[in-house]
Amino acid sequence: MKRKIGALAAATAALVVLAGCSTSGDTTDTGSADGQDITFWLMGGDTPDALRDYLKTEYNKATGGTLTIEQQDWSDALAKLTTALPDADNTPDVTEIGNTWSPTFTTVGAFSDISDMYDELGGSKLLQSFVDVGAVDGKNYAMPYYFGSRYVFYRKDLYAAAGQEVPTTLPQLTEAATALHTDALSGFYLGGEDWRNGVSWIFAYGGDLAKKDGDTWKSSLSDPKTIEGLTALQELYTSASNAPVTESDSTPWVNINTQPNATAPEAATIIAPGWAHWSIGDLAEDPNDSTKTVATWNDDVFGTYVLPGVDGGVAPVFAGGSNIAISAASKNQAGARELMKIIFSDEYQQMLGENGLGPANSDFLSSLGDDQFAKALADSAQGSKLTPAAPGWAAVEGSGLLEEFFGKVNGGGDIASLAAEYDQKIDDIING
Amino acid sequence: MTGARVGRVALSVLAIVLAIVWIFPVYWMVNSSFISTAVLQQFTPHFFPGEYFTVSNFTGAVADGSFFGALGMSVTITLIVVVVCLIFAFLGAVAISRFKFRGRKSFVLALLLIQMLPAEGLFIAQYKMVSSVGLLNTVLGVSVIYIAAVIPFTIWMLRGFVAGVPAELEEAAMVDGLSRFQAFMRITFPLLAPGLVASGVYAFLQAWNEFTVAVVLLPAESAQTLPLWLRGFVQASATRETDWGQVMAASTIVAIPVIIFFLIVQGRMTSGIVGGAVKG
Amino acid sequence: MSTHTAGRRIQPRRTTGVPYVLIVPAVVALLLGLGYPLVWQFITAFQDYGLAQQFGKPPEWVGFDNFANLLWDGEFWAVLVRSLVFCIVTAAVTVVIGVLMAVLMNAVGRTVRLILQISMLLAWAMPVAAATTVFIWLFDRRRGVVNYLLDMIPGVDMNRFDWLGHPLTFFLVAMILIVWMSVPFVSFAVYAGLTQISEEVMEAAQIDGANAWQRFRRIIVPMIRPVLSIVLLLQLIWDLRVFAQITLLKDAGSKASDFDLLGTYIYKLGAAANDFGVASAVSIVVLVITIAISWVYVRELIKEDEAQ
Repeated sequence: MKRKIGALAAATAALVVLAGCSTSGDTTDTGSADGQDITFWLMGGDTPDALRDYLKTEYNKATGGTLTIEQQDWSDALAKLTTALPDADNTPDVTEIGNTWSPTFTTVGAFSDISDMYDELGGSKLLQSFVDVGAVDGKNYAMPYYFGSRYVFYRKDLYAAAGQEVPTTLPQLTEAATALHTDALSGFYLGGEDWRNGVSWIFAYGGDLAKKDGDTWKSSLSDPKTIEGLTALQELYTSASNAPVTESDSTPWVNINTQPNATAPEAATIIAPGWAHWSIGDLAEDPNDSTKTVATWNDDVFGTYVLPGVDGGVAPVFAGGSNIAISAASKNQAGARELMKIIFSDEYQQMLGENGLGPANSDFLSSLGDDQFAKALADSAQGSKLTPAAPGWAAVEGSGLLEEFFGKVNGGGDIASLAAEYDQKIDDIING
Repeated sequence: MTGARVGRVALSVLAIVLAIVWIFPVYWMVNSSFISTAVLQQFTPHFFPGEYFTVSNFTGAVADGSFFGALGMSVTITLIVVVVCLIFAFLGAVAISRFKFRGRKSFVLALLLIQMLPAEGLFIAQYKMVSSVGLLNTVLGVSVIYIAAVIPFTIWMLRGFVAGVPAELEEAAMVDGLSRFQAFMRITFPLLAPGLVASGVYAFLQAWNEFTVAVVLLPAESAQTLPLWLRGFVQASATRETDWGQVMAASTIVAIPVIIFFLIVQGRMTSGIVGGAVKG
Repeated sequence: MSTHTAGRRIQPRRTTGVPYVLIVPAVVALLLGLGYPLVWQFITAFQDYGLAQQFGKPPEWVGFDNFANLLWDGEFWAVLVRSLVFCIVTAAVTVVIGVLMAVLMNAVGRTVRLILQISMLLAWAMPVAAATTVFIWLFDRRRGVVNYLLDMIPGVDMNRFDWLGHPLTFFLVAMILIVWMSVPFVSFAVYAGLTQISEEVMEAAQIDGANAWQRFRRIIVPMIRPVLSIVLLLQLIWDLRVFAQITLLKDAGSKASDFDLLGTYIYKLGAAANDFGVASAVSIVVLVITIAISWVYVRELIKEDEAQ
């Protein structure tokens, strides 16, 4: 690769001059992490500062080197990973990566084989669905970082006023939400393009986004079970949600919170990742800063339940979360492996849970606490499912095809013909 | 007579209304930036900060210190791009408007065509190039890309001005005993000032506003430019709703340097633009 | 400046080396910044180049496959047509409003003119990211002031209207934003052209019985035609490539391809779908189309150049 770049660059005479000044020294892995300065990319702001500081301190203690943490925006992450990961001089040594993107980058060889560390990092205690999306041909490349499966938040006061009980099956949920729904209130506030939540309905009816047939993946939106799920979703959306067709899963809780000046809430029910509970409650002036508001959870008004299955039980929801991996191009493999050990250490796993992020190692699930949020998170994680581990999956997501498809379904489109149309579009890119 | 007068008043009223419409988004930005987020979260908009006046959005926006780094990056990059582009473009403009030479036509044509190429698909190549010479996350790396993007239009704009300055004037001055350089500096340069200002404004805006290339070539947080910094505020995350008060404060901060720059050069600007355009 | 235009251009000197020395800095800058990316793009357009190639797998030559596939790609054509319509309408609206504003500036008294000019100058000075962000806030579904004001009109129900949620209103907002940002440039340029028209000519025309429209048509338009044509060309080129505004508006609205224009479409093909071969092919097609649109103008420019 490098060579070809060089050759092409030579075509432009001036570039050669600059290339002469290049300072790329090829220091290969010496096997010792001592004094290695490494970079770790985090996606978005979900990892709290205290955890970042812990990693920096511990890494320095272990190796004497410096750990630099760079936070990347989710929206630019694909472009940045695509350019930086193959570039030995500038790659992050360790990176967080969306769990659903893991198969894509793993398949093209972006990450180092860390099968030999697998047992040391937690082995069979690690969240297996996340381990699977980061493995190719029985070798492990990307590991689970944290999970946050989704569950339901609802307003007890509105449910009570309308005489609605907490539903125990998915059809009941639609019924209750429809009964609560008015022009000003969404019985269930769900964005039309919010496929990460909407996909739970497909999973609940036994459907899938794609299936592996031999060596190739095929989109299975037209599968009768998928269609059944989509039909149920469309019914819920059209009869109970006032959310725009084009809204995705950004911040649904702003609609359920109690506003300070007594404006009525606009949603009776939402579904969100577990850590959203910090943002849900009665909004009031922040005591530390009168210009801001802060949400305080109020048990009399708000409650949680897990998304029920079609015939009761727990619906398999989308398993949100991230993986973590070492860049294959990194020159600091030893240092990167040190960081992995720190991340999968007992202390750090414990800290993840205490901050509401589902720890990768199941031994530390108790660290989430024993309140209703921890319980809902653990329950919803039971059957949670991930998107297909197909090589082209990141491209499918990145192209916005799922937002588009779910938006059109919820916009009242004909499900069967839309499913056929998008099966074809997804098949074009799902195999990489 | 009275009819004409009524017409004039009506036109003035219309002009004032349009002025208000045009300035409204700017006003709304500044207005929102001085209102506390808690109040902005309510559903009734406030047309004046009044009792809700606060500067906390501004202090909050610059609190984590990343602003000053981004400001430094943006100012440095913009300065480099403006200065380099003006010098290089001026030389190029002199060449094509005062000389006939082989390849001149292709050069002019190339300048025009380059502008029409969509740049959105180039980022992989730009990254490879900049990274292969070790300039990722540096001012120089993005500046090289920006300069190439801005130069064609600046040359094109300036050539009209250079062509418009009669060489006879310069020659006459030389007859009066000035050196060629002196003649140029005293006679030609002042006549070119509006053109340089207009081209400078263009280069300034391009460099100040760009963010697609910056996203890829400046991946380190410490190397952010202001547009990237601003974008970070707008995006709501899984744990945070967009804080509109702070976003508007941040937008205001990003706009202020441009407004200052515009006010400094505004007198020269309009004549510069039309001068260049007429002779395009 | 226009006083210098007519017939005063000097005979270009036929000095041998000097012009080449003068263009060297610009050419080097262009080669440095654009040379490799352009070569890369041209080559990649004929390759199957995806993420695997980015990570070291040798790219495969596919000839014109990337282009051929585009021919049958309904989405590409939809985006192309949408972009062309958007670009033409936006550029036309910008120029028309810009000219009217300039005429208005010319017609009103000094103070009023200054007020109008300052407000336009401020709009012009707004950085793209800031301006787009402000527009997203103005048109916010829940707390935007536009919905609030429109809702106050009796009989109009705009409460919670989702401007960015429907392609038509999405592009309307994008158009208002771009027109708002671009009109100052156009009207300042045209206004400066108008000030060159002498009072006497206008008065003489008035005495001869020409009404306002006739004066506009016969005197003003011919005078500002050169300005107009270049301004229109620039607006067309810029509006066809509009990227930042659409990206930021899409961040706040929908991810669906119904909201894409060529710029965001190319970026999506490359950055998100990792199909750099097709992304490069589309870029080249867009270049060709832009050249085709502006060909008349480019030809005139070259002719005028040769005549010098």
